[in-house]
Amino acid sequence: MSNLLELEDITKDYHTKLGEVKAIKNINLNIKKGEIISIVGPSGCGKSTLLSIISGLDNDYKGKVKKNKDLKIAYMLQSDALLPWLTIYDNAILGLKIKKNLTEEAQKYVDYLFDFYKLSEFKESYPKNLSGGMKQRVALIRTLSLKPDLLLLDEPFSALDQQSRLLISDDVYKIVKSEHKTVILITHNIEEAISFSDRVVVLSKRPSIIKNIVNIDFKNQESIYERRKDTNYHKYFDLIWKDLDINEC
Amino acid sequence: MSAEQKKFLKDIKIKKVKVIIAQILLLSIFLLLWEFLVNKGIISAFIYSSPSRIIKTIIELIKNHNFFIHIYVTLKEVFISFVLGISLGFIIALILFEFKFLAKVLDPFLTMLNSLPKVALGPLIIIICGANIKSVILMALLINLIVNIITIYNGFTGVDEYILKLFKSLGASKWQILTKLVIPSSYQTIITSFKLCISLTLIGVIMGEFLVSKEGIGYLIVYGKQVFNLNYVMTGIILLSIISYILYRLIIILENKLLKHL
Repeated sequence: MSNLLELEDITKDYHTKLGEVKAIKNINLNIKKGEIISIVGPSGCGKSTLLSIISGLDNDYKGKVKKNKDLKIAYMLQSDALLPWLTIYDNAILGLKIKKNLTEEAQKYVDYLFDFYKLSEFKESYPKNLSGGMKQRVALIRTLSLKPDLLLLDEPFSALDQQSRLLISDDVYKIVKSEHKTVILITHNIEEAISFSDRVVVLSKRPSIIKNIVNIDFKNQESIYERRKDTNYHKYFDLIWKDLDINEC
Repeated sequence: MSAEQKKFLKDIKIKKVKVIIAQILLLSIFLLLWEFLVNKGIISAFIYSSPSRIIKTIIELIKNHNFFIHIYVTLKEVFISFVLGISLGFIIALILFEFKFLAKVLDPFLTMLNSLPKVALGPLIIIICGANIKSVILMALLINLIVNIITIYNGFTGVDEYILKLFKSLGASKWQILTKLVIPSSYQTIITSFKLCISLTLIGVIMGEFLVSKEGIGYLIVYGKQVFNLNYVMTGIILLSIISYILYRLIIILENKLLKHL
């Protein structure tokens, strides 16, 4: 597999009235095409900052982000970020509209995703009429409709209840696997990181450095439920848990 | 529909009807008590008038063809001042939102202007605009505009940071962020500014009519005071209360229509 993205010596400092905050220090990471990577670390260690840098939203950093100019990146956030004044369907096609890419083919794909996630009957509903899990699925459709090469998932399941969290993370897992998408997932949840990804990057507390990269190798990759059943699951958990600066948060 | 659901919906209707009946009852008691106290001489009919005297005054004004003219003039001034106040408030808030430096520079001046008692500017307004409708509208504008600017600007700056991040990650242009996110997400605040604006506009218009007008409800009140016919004053006050209530209800109807999905 070739590298889709290369991070070279990424360093990020914040300047506030109270002083300088060193957020990230010399992060080096290569991400291969089709790979799913999770980033875990203590709260406030700069995980989201790293995603902002990768996405191009934050350009005030040191180091290099090597990526193809035409690389299509899509973001999925902690909040579903649905616009309450738009219907579910209009929310789903928002990205396509902004990018002025609402072609017939794109609409067909959106319709397919609505069918796939059993949301077709809610197309004309408004966000307030949907459950948290359904809203996050709409956010997922909005993200996937752009057919991105790289999906940046910034704790997208954190606001959901445990049941919805498992269901939707499995939905996402299956679709990114079947469509060979490259994914970077940020999460606080070690179990989620292990069951979702090929590699787990463990960051230290601020200034954040990579403490460890754990390669996850499960025999059955069919779903996150199957992955959780693997005998090595707890071994990975202990390994990541040991590296997390959880007591120093 | 199940029997329980029917009962639930019926209970909601009954509660609503009960509130309306209580409101009508309260108003009726107030009016009857007012009439009673005046008729018994407990309170002065000269100063406080009475509901029956107010009705007589209204009939008299209708016969003299003055009633609808006063209402029309005041409503016209309110409408012009309201539309101008909201439009200018929206445009200035938009400029301040786009130019944050300007917003910071103007912040203390806006606060100062907001707390300035505008009636103090009355003599100046009359000298600048003359004793005509322009002075009334300017007075109303001075009163409603600053509040409109501050309220709408606060709405613009209160955009959900996650949604803003999403728009930026989608590569939205400044124009797209403004038209598809900032303005629609400020609908609630804009409606709030409508509500504030309508009451402030009424205050401004009446204040302006006190100063310069020859027609309008404010003029009717001042005229009543000058000729010691306080029936005119009370009629003016009652008319103002009814007008402000109707205008406020119209905004509520607009709010329910525009914000039904929020």
